[in-house]
Amino acid sequence: MNLLAISLNHHTASVDKREAVHLNNDEIKKFLDELKENYFSEGFILSTCNRTEIYGIPIKSELNYLHLTNFLLEKKAVVEITDENFQKFFSCSALNHLFRVTAGIDSLLVGDNQILGQVKESFSIAEEKGFVGFLLKRVFDHAMKVGKRAKTETLISEGAITVSYAAVQLIEKIFSNLSKKSALVIGVGETGEIATKHLRDKGIGKLTITNRTFEKAEKLAEEVHAKILPFANFKESLHEFDIIISATSAKDYILSKDEVKVMMKKRGFAATVLMDIAIPRDIDPNSKNIDNVFYHDIDSLSIIVDQNLKKRKDEIPKVQQIIMEELISFFSWFNSLEIAPTIKSLRDLFEEVRISEVDKYKNKFSSEDVEKLDLVTKRIINKLLHHPTTGLKKVSELGTDSPEVMLKIALVRDMFGLDKSEEETK
Amino acid sequence: MVETIHVSNVLLPILYLLSFGIYTYDFVKGHPRLSNVKRLFLFLTLVFHVFYLIIRTIAFDHPPITNVFEIFTLIAFAISFSYFILELVTDVRGTGLFIIFISMVFQIISTIFIRDLYEVREELRSNLLGFHVLAAMLGYSGITLSAVYGFLYLMLYKELKLNKFGLIFNRLPNLEILEKLSFYSAVIGFILLSVAIATGVIWLPIAFPKFSYLDPKLITTTIVWLMYGVGIALKISGQWQGRRVVTLSIVGFLIALTSTIVTNFIATSFHSFY
Repeated sequence: MNLLAISLNHHTASVDKREAVHLNNDEIKKFLDELKENYFSEGFILSTCNRTEIYGIPIKSELNYLHLTNFLLEKKAVVEITDENFQKFFSCSALNHLFRVTAGIDSLLVGDNQILGQVKESFSIAEEKGFVGFLLKRVFDHAMKVGKRAKTETLISEGAITVSYAAVQLIEKIFSNLSKKSALVIGVGETGEIATKHLRDKGIGKLTITNRTFEKAEKLAEEVHAKILPFANFKESLHEFDIIISATSAKDYILSKDEVKVMMKKRGFAATVLMDIAIPRDIDPNSKNIDNVFYHDIDSLSIIVDQNLKKRKDEIPKVQQIIMEELISFFSWFNSLEIAPTIKSLRDLFEEVRISEVDKYKNKFSSEDVEKLDLVTKRIINKLLHHPTTGLKKVSELGTDSPEVMLKIALVRDMFGLDKSEEETK
Repeated sequence: MVETIHVSNVLLPILYLLSFGIYTYDFVKGHPRLSNVKRLFLFLTLVFHVFYLIIRTIAFDHPPITNVFEIFTLIAFAISFSYFILELVTDVRGTGLFIIFISMVFQIISTIFIRDLYEVREELRSNLLGFHVLAAMLGYSGITLSAVYGFLYLMLYKELKLNKFGLIFNRLPNLEILEKLSFYSAVIGFILLSVAIATGVIWLPIAFPKFSYLDPKLITTTIVWLMYGVGIALKISGQWQGRRVVTLSIVGFLIALTSTIVTNFIATSFHSFY
């Protein structure tokens, strides 16, 4: 298979270089048009913050990687990127790379499951542009299958691997039903915002936010349907919350141990989670010595993140096994796209049907007639298959790698269910 | 039949040991396939235990409630049975090993010391006694479960406080569930123990006309009953929660256990059936 791929990703290039070649959807569409015109019969482009990759089936055999890297670099006009910043793949290795990407084991955060959606989107754009033929369609189906299997059959995407998600995971180890709990998020910078959204996704009962800049809080509150507390007097209401997440950029503690103690007294010492995900910290760490206060900071959350990352990495061999199975499955389909085996399978199928029908009715004929029946049915089959057989042989003169040949073979195999009947015989 | 009883008596601790083994293996390895297998195995162990209790009752012409080692096999059954029901109702599956371990210990002691007992003291042949023992057994199972869940609560509480995120953190249900399991088990245990005490008090003057109100069994039972009563009242009124309540439950269980050992093996009590 002539699948060609280049990839600039977090293994090969720094973030500024990755940003420089990143393509938005409009750019991808424009580029696909040009690729279609000059280089590929089928193809697609994947561009995320960690990788930009071009895949395609070349029209001419003399096409090489340099054409592709130059094509990309000319368009994006980035001088400091060199050939070394690209990984290059061909045929089986290209497919293997794509499968590794969809399975999440090539991601910066191992097991990242956003990538599957991003690959899906890249394919839809290519499909929209009429740039996905039957071969890439099949590649896409297998790639999606790898991604889904990795997610369901292994633990590659299990456990929190970001600090804000680890905070939510930890909260779930303390409280059973978040819909009956109330949470306060102090400071809605990037980290605070992510934590707020995680809490909303987990179905928190009451969500309140507070921020030094009121307008910023207002914007987020609207988005996640949260209440806002004025920053000046949020401390008066602390006891109303089961969960307090703090992520401000304050230089000193904004909550002292004594303030936490007062809050706990007002709450009747009901369990309270204090998540301090700010650097430097917002809440006096000595608060953890108070009964029923569960205080955690970035350091303790990082322990969870590291453990989960390790667990995910341990799952990589299982994912590789899935990739191997899907590669074998893909190539056994691909290798069947040859003329001679297809003609043989077609003839075998007809012969099988003929024999079973003759066997079924031969009791109704005399032994002399059975011989005639055998002969006549054979002749019918030969006549029926004459035209398709010569037609297929003629098509093969175009060359085995021609997309037109493959399409016709795939059509025949599909119409007569040859792959299915072969699997059944196995 | 006696031969079958002897074989079953040896088989039972082995079955509990195997159940404990499967639950432990699943706890450590977290194998999804085992979570149904272990439940089935515990069920079969319980069915076999029922069979053992029935043939014992038939062969020796009395239910196994007349001495402490007969009671021990009964309590081993009651604890695992209560746990089994709890697992079915709540679908919390990660805590079985801690409970089955206790059943296993009771069953091993019973298996070693139990004797073929054909003669029963006349005062112990009473329907009221049967009712008393049944309520007491289930009541004690309740407070045992409560103490075990309380203990697990404290372990997880400590891990969370110390930022240790090991097996306990990964496998146990969350603190709130552990607290609830401990509390509801205590409430059920308390109600059944109240029934046991009530029937015991009715039966006591009939069976032992010369009993004393200062008998160690009566004193310790009253203390345990009061402790659970006060603890439950404090929890319901919202004055106590979390660590304090589960600690009280564990202390209550330890006093109850000590009381059983003291009144049966050491002190002179009307309740010494050794």
